[in-house]
Amino acid sequence: MVGEQGGTRRMLTGNAAAAWGARLARVEYIPAFPITPQTEIIESLAAWCAGGELAARFVTLDSEHSMITAAGAAAATGCRVFTATSSQGLLYGLEALWTVAGWRVPLVMVNVSRGLAAPITLEPDHNDILAARDSGCIQLHAETCQEVLDSVLLAYRVAEDPRVRLPVIVNMDGFYLSFTREPVEVPTPQQAADFLPEAQGEPEFRASRPLAQGVAVLQGALYSHFRYQMHLAQEAALAVHEEAAADFEQICGRRYGAVEAYRLEDAELVLVMAGSFATKARAAIDVLRSEGKRVGLLRLRMIRPWPAAAVAAALGHRRGVAVIDQNLSPGLGGILFQEVAATLARSARRPGVLRSFVGGLGGKDISLGEFRHVVDVLAAASDSEDLHGSELLFTEADWQQVQSLVQLAQFPETQAVPSDDGRSEVRR
Amino acid sequence: MLRIRFHGRGGHGVKTASRIVGTAAFLSGFYAQDSPIYGAERRGAAVAAYTRIDTKPICERGAVAEPDLILVVDETLLADPAAGVRVGCEFASALLVNSGKEGTALATELRLPCPILTLDLTAVVLAVVGRGSAQSAVLGAAACALAGLGPLERVLEAVQRELVELGLEADEQARNLEAARRVYADLSAVPARPRLPASGQVELHRPTLAKGAASRPIILAVGNAAARHTGRWRVFRPVIDQEACTRCGVCFALCPDGAITLDERAYPVIDYENCKGCMMCYQECPVHCISERQEVQAW
Amino acid sequence: MKTKREFIHNLKELPRDELLAPGSPLCAGCGGLLALRLLLKALDGNVAVVNAAGCMTLLAVYPYTPLRTSWLYTTMGSAPAGAQGIRDALDVLIAKGRLPREEDLRVVVLAGDGATLDIGLSSLSGAIHRGLDFYYLCYDNEAFGNTGFQMSAASPYGSRTATSPATPLQAAGTLQQKKDLFEIWRSHHPPYAATLSTADPVDLVDKVRRATRLRGPKLFTALAVCPPGWGSAPSRGFEIAKLALDTGVWPLKEAIDGKVRHTYIPQRRRPLEEYLRTQRRFAHLFSPQRQEDVLHRMQQAVDAYWDEVQRHEMPPR
Repeated sequence: MVGEQGGTRRMLTGNAAAAWGARLARVEYIPAFPITPQTEIIESLAAWCAGGELAARFVTLDSEHSMITAAGAAAATGCRVFTATSSQGLLYGLEALWTVAGWRVPLVMVNVSRGLAAPITLEPDHNDILAARDSGCIQLHAETCQEVLDSVLLAYRVAEDPRVRLPVIVNMDGFYLSFTREPVEVPTPQQAADFLPEAQGEPEFRASRPLAQGVAVLQGALYSHFRYQMHLAQEAALAVHEEAAADFEQICGRRYGAVEAYRLEDAELVLVMAGSFATKARAAIDVLRSEGKRVGLLRLRMIRPWPAAAVAAALGHRRGVAVIDQNLSPGLGGILFQEVAATLARSARRPGVLRSFVGGLGGKDISLGEFRHVVDVLAAASDSEDLHGSELLFTEADWQQVQSLVQLAQFPETQAVPSDDGRSEVRR
Repeated sequence: MLRIRFHGRGGHGVKTASRIVGTAAFLSGFYAQDSPIYGAERRGAAVAAYTRIDTKPICERGAVAEPDLILVVDETLLADPAAGVRVGCEFASALLVNSGKEGTALATELRLPCPILTLDLTAVVLAVVGRGSAQSAVLGAAACALAGLGPLERVLEAVQRELVELGLEADEQARNLEAARRVYADLSAVPARPRLPASGQVELHRPTLAKGAASRPIILAVGNAAARHTGRWRVFRPVIDQEACTRCGVCFALCPDGAITLDERAYPVIDYENCKGCMMCYQECPVHCISERQEVQAW
Repeated sequence: MKTKREFIHNLKELPRDELLAPGSPLCAGCGGLLALRLLLKALDGNVAVVNAAGCMTLLAVYPYTPLRTSWLYTTMGSAPAGAQGIRDALDVLIAKGRLPREEDLRVVVLAGDGATLDIGLSSLSGAIHRGLDFYYLCYDNEAFGNTGFQMSAASPYGSRTATSPATPLQAAGTLQQKKDLFEIWRSHHPPYAATLSTADPVDLVDKVRRATRLRGPKLFTALAVCPPGWGSAPSRGFEIAKLALDTGVWPLKEAIDGKVRHTYIPQRRRPLEEYLRTQRRFAHLFSPQRQEDVLHRMQQAVDAYWDEVQRHEMPPR
């Protein structure tokens, strides 16, 4: 449960921050379905709706597929809608997500990233949210609990803009943000109202003006038209987001861009990441900088629309760039690497070397040592080398641990024995 | 390459017709490709099918945009922009319409930049095959004749193969073959020859973000479907004898499409622009005051 | 024996207004379309139709729609959730004064039997469970009609579909029993559930009118004669629907707060065979040889149903 009055700095989890974002946005309708690690969001909202702190209708649906459909239908009718999901839930609702994006209706959904089954897991990586990459939904990836809250408010401004009219998904990492408390500045209701006016979209379904929405299109040219309109609306969202972010800075004092740079000014080597693990990269960069390495970070905040110009401008002239993907497309490698590489391939200036790493799958830590490895690879690489695959950030210690567990799984006579340093050791 | 495009409505048999031509070409030693477009599998919806024939492997796929030959089962499709009958017709050496009208009259009416032929395929089917049958055999035979595929025996073999594939009974096959024979004979004197080579040139449009509903799949003009004139699907037309009508309301109640309205004195009035000719009203009128007349001009 | 009608007594009282304009691309003689047209007549305008993928999805094909009401196409499996979103949003907007009360709409889900009993069953179950104030029309043509008539959970035992062909290995065609939608509904305790027939438009309109007085889920399933799928002439649609009533294979009934009442009880049921013989999907039961066991089983199921009705609803003779 979360505190009652906005407008103060307080300790909030990412989930509580998301709920506060929805509350301050004065959402009117919340269709919900529980899934770990998102459930706290809807529990907070349900309590506020039941207690009268939030004048919204809260409805528990029968699945994410139904939930997203209901969210889209309510948004199409004219309500300000909020919902949240995670992982398997996002994939279960994926068909509906494409559908409501195709309706071109504004709603905001928080996705709490969690690795996808099978094997089923609870900790985060970004394959869930990237499975929604081409749905037409705008994607904002948050690094901190503060950013989760602020992004929800920003998201409504973008989604509801007549130039855009698309759903926005705000993404945060399960556990690392969802269940982690950190100080968050909660805007006052007045600040929120100044930034985001009351919902005022003209109701679309009404007796006096019947219309057919989401109708079938049985012709390639028509389908191309409507699908490409979604693309143009996404492109328009880049500027709309910039405008909203400028307003937000004026009112709340925090500035968000499509990408975020950390110690990039004189950086020769740049790491590219998204989500909360970027915080680990910052710490590593500080250490490596203290050792004299000119390293920086480019954090991708907006994944859709893809901020190609900002990416090219930030990376084109570097000596080396490494994309660390917290996702894996089996048979290809890291997904965002492909997008960064495609952007740089078309830009006038390209970095000397470009490398792909995959790390943090299923919430596995990326340690300072692993960041150091990435930077060492970049520093040593020359541009004559080509066609490197994605390297997995996975240490010998990780391997030892996996091996011992595999032994336990495969051989009944294996026993785990406590070793001297307190860690388990496996003996056959 | 010879590119043939068939237009009809679901149930007319354009897919099978495209296969008949494909099979006939295949049996004649050509490279051939045939395909339908998959939309709604439904009686009445506009559908199209394509056959390509060449002496070398065919490196095209999908819709035929620049046809040498167009065959249209239902002339109302010519007025429906969504059906796309007119697309690329400037490349066609012939457009055959299933119609009882004169070709010259239709040419004046339609103002198409290609020669127009007409033949009343429906009449042949009704006379030889029977009521409610698809037109695949006659349509396939017509396309074979216009494309110069032959001899007749080979075309009939192609027809038969496809009819067997459809699971038609032997007597139905025989009647369809007879109808195909007649149509082939009628048309074999006018083989199509490509007029223009496929241009392969287009101008690209650069789309911009549209405002409001134009950017979204939304229809504001609700109830506008009457403009589609589904009445031209009919084979038979129900005709009400108002003298005998008792105004019981049965026909009004049972018309699935709402094509029967009641006038101010509660007499039923049929909207012939849209009546699809299901003939439920004719079948169920308790006083038998509705008769059926065969439509001459269109399917 | 027909029960007394409450709101409409004969065809002459059918509302004249058409919310469904002609010109749809649906098949000539479509029973589902007729059921929808009659239901919309009974509702008298101000409706939002929420559609699940199926034949009816092709009602609104850009740029045309025959409906003079609002329309939202959702997905195959979540139309009831679409209705939930619209209903809730209308309530919210009206409560907040963002929408005048006279702008309110009745929300109607339009779904086929496959969307209802197969892929969309959990969404429908959820909407009823939540007590959603909506109308649901299942047009039951007893197969996935739009994709070319494949077997659904509503395909009756003994019928042939594109995916349950009649072969020596499965002579009956479809081997499963049709799911009982009415009883599935009743187990959810909705205020109103009913079966409908296009062969009895007065009963259909009467039921829908009766339901309009109730709040909550109002659920209707109509047997929808499907000429191309069933293999019957479009002109015989009424006759076939009527035979379904008179043979007793499609009982007309309603349940108000769970209490079942049949609105038509055929006094002397005609043999089921008369109904089966009108449709090519049952032709394998008669030719090349008569499948006595299958026919017997089908007739027995109908007889058993009515024996039960007799025990519960009819006064002893």
